[in-house]
Amino acid sequence: MNQAAAPISQSDDIVAIRGLRKSYSTLEVLKGIDISVKRGEVVVILGPSGSGKSTMLRCVNFLENFDQGTITVEGRPVGYKMVNGTRRPVSEVDNASLRQHVGMVFQSYNLFPHRTVLQNVMMGPVKVKGMDNSKARDIAMKLLAKVGMEHKADAYPGRLSGGQQQRVAIARALAMEPSVMLFDEVTSALDPELVGEVLKVMRELAEEGMTMIVVTHEMGFARGVADRVVFMDGGVVVEQGPPEEIMTNPQTDRFRGFLSRHLSHEG
Amino acid sequence: MFPVLQSNLPYLLQGAVYTVILSAIVVSCGTALGVGIGVLASVGGAILRSIITAYIFLFRGVPVLVIMFLGFYSFPALGLRLDAYTAVAISMIVYVGAFVAEATRGAIAGVPTGQTEAAKSLGMRKGKMMREIVLPQAMRLVIAPVLNISLMAIKQTSYASIVGAWELSFAAREVVERTLAAFQIFLGVMLIYFIICYPLSLAARALDKRLAFDS
Amino acid sequence: MDAFVIFFTRYLPAFADGFLITAGVAALAAPAALIWAIVLIIPRLAQWTWASRLVDAYVEVMRNSPLLVQMYLLYFGLPLLGLFWSSIVCGVIAIASQHGAFLSEILRSGIQSLSQRQWEAGSAIGMRRFAVIRLVILPQAFIKVLPALGNQLIVLVKDTSLVSAIGVMDLTLTGKMTIERSGASFEAFIAVAFFYLILTSTLGLVLRIIEVRAARRYG
Repeated sequence: MNQAAAPISQSDDIVAIRGLRKSYSTLEVLKGIDISVKRGEVVVILGPSGSGKSTMLRCVNFLENFDQGTITVEGRPVGYKMVNGTRRPVSEVDNASLRQHVGMVFQSYNLFPHRTVLQNVMMGPVKVKGMDNSKARDIAMKLLAKVGMEHKADAYPGRLSGGQQQRVAIARALAMEPSVMLFDEVTSALDPELVGEVLKVMRELAEEGMTMIVVTHEMGFARGVADRVVFMDGGVVVEQGPPEEIMTNPQTDRFRGFLSRHLSHEG
Repeated sequence: MFPVLQSNLPYLLQGAVYTVILSAIVVSCGTALGVGIGVLASVGGAILRSIITAYIFLFRGVPVLVIMFLGFYSFPALGLRLDAYTAVAISMIVYVGAFVAEATRGAIAGVPTGQTEAAKSLGMRKGKMMREIVLPQAMRLVIAPVLNISLMAIKQTSYASIVGAWELSFAAREVVERTLAAFQIFLGVMLIYFIICYPLSLAARALDKRLAFDS
Repeated sequence: MDAFVIFFTRYLPAFADGFLITAGVAALAAPAALIWAIVLIIPRLAQWTWASRLVDAYVEVMRNSPLLVQMYLLYFGLPLLGLFWSSIVCGVIAIASQHGAFLSEILRSGIQSLSQRQWEAGSAIGMRRFAVIRLVILPQAFIKVLPALGNQLIVLVKDTSLVSAIGVMDLTLTGKMTIERSGASFEAFIAVAFFYLILTSTLGLVLRIIEVRAARRYG
């Protein structure tokens, strides 16, 4: 692999994906993906469903395994490492410790239903980092205030709207002080009137300089917030660049078609 | 009105005490064993899992009475002298354990994958994830089936009388053999069992209904 | 290993007899229990208030008392009424009456889960109430609760072992006698368990096939 020869020294790359390939039996869903994300950068991944964008994102914190290529987060290998020239899976401990630095927000929120909002946000710091309760509580309350959910700290997730749950899920991921946040179609399951409140939180995060990789269908968010837009289709990166350039002047028919279908939807 | 039942009631109630004690031991130990095995089946390796699958298949596919006979006759064969009551208790614990293990395994599998993915994303390791996220949710799902299994087990403690362990059903047969008042005694004994079982049966049904509503 | 072979060749005929008795008791009790279950839900479907309450009470008693005691009641009680029925008959009646109650509960939950629309649809095309029940409600309820019915039937097969307590020479009693005669408790247990597993797994398999077929046709 020629990528292996390239220096991994670019220290401002928080996430570096090189030659990522993955198949489900005979179906290849990722056909060699190269994406790097710099500190403070907001990268929005666009693409039709089935383009492999969510799978790619889930590889970054190793919720999905992959067949070829490398992913590093702050220079640390994700999932596999080379030992004497052979590719070996890293230990469960290493995976867990790496994931502490990668925040993830899911389409279906995945809050812990048996814990209150506050306990959900405290879960990471207390149970993973071993922080003491009072300190974790302070951090959690600050984050809940930031996402506008401090008034529901003692509620159980089941009582919240989808938008509220998703904002709590963002706070829960932030509580680990991750170096990068992954957003996996986080507004797709929401009623249209609740999308705005979640996007607002994400926009604020971006403005604060959080490094983010966002898989979404929200064209407005891509155009307004992204530093870079990556268009994926059929398991490859088709186009990438600053949104004002590539979204106004797409170079490929595939991206042009995608944009016209989606922008016409939004009116 | 029922002279034979009345005069033998104290004796029968004494039997009922043995039934309740046996039930309590079997249900509590069987549940603990079953939950433990169910958890092991969910975290263990392939070999452990297939051993547990075989255990569940065997004990769920064979009548409890046969398991009792096995317990009753094979402990002495191994050189252990146990009384019938203990042999029955051990056999039933292992039997109930298989049912609870199956229910636990199902409940753990029933916790959505999104939950474990969220836990992993926080950097949680397997053991902690099991303790903090999966088990608390699975245990809720397991309460209703465990109540139904307990109900089954309480009624099955009566089979202990067949292998010679003295409890309510054994006492009932003794009284009937002496007095021949089969209707009075057996109907009375059914009533005693009913009183023991009914609260549990109500709880199981209420829970079933509530879970049906939740989903 | 030799001990096993000798044991099995010696006692196989006895186990085969026991197996046939157990299978026979199950083959009598299972259909009887199903028919009894359907009879038990009629009052509710027909909305006969008093009869349904009586059925409810009966079901509660059956659910909350042991089959063994019910069997004893018949076996030791009927002769006092001048009815000298064989122990197999007593056993089958006891099993059918308890499992009929359980099966009727299962059927009832299936019927309750069907929406009111099915009733209305049936009535709308001019069916009489009993025609709706027979042609619309029962078939659908049956399909819905097939897995639960199947599990209950497997429990029924295992419960046939209780007839050994009133002297029927079934698989369980054969096992017990063999242990007492030969002292080979493990060998006897393995043989008995093996035959029961054949019965319960075959039944489980057949039920699974029926389930899959039904799901394919109506799902």
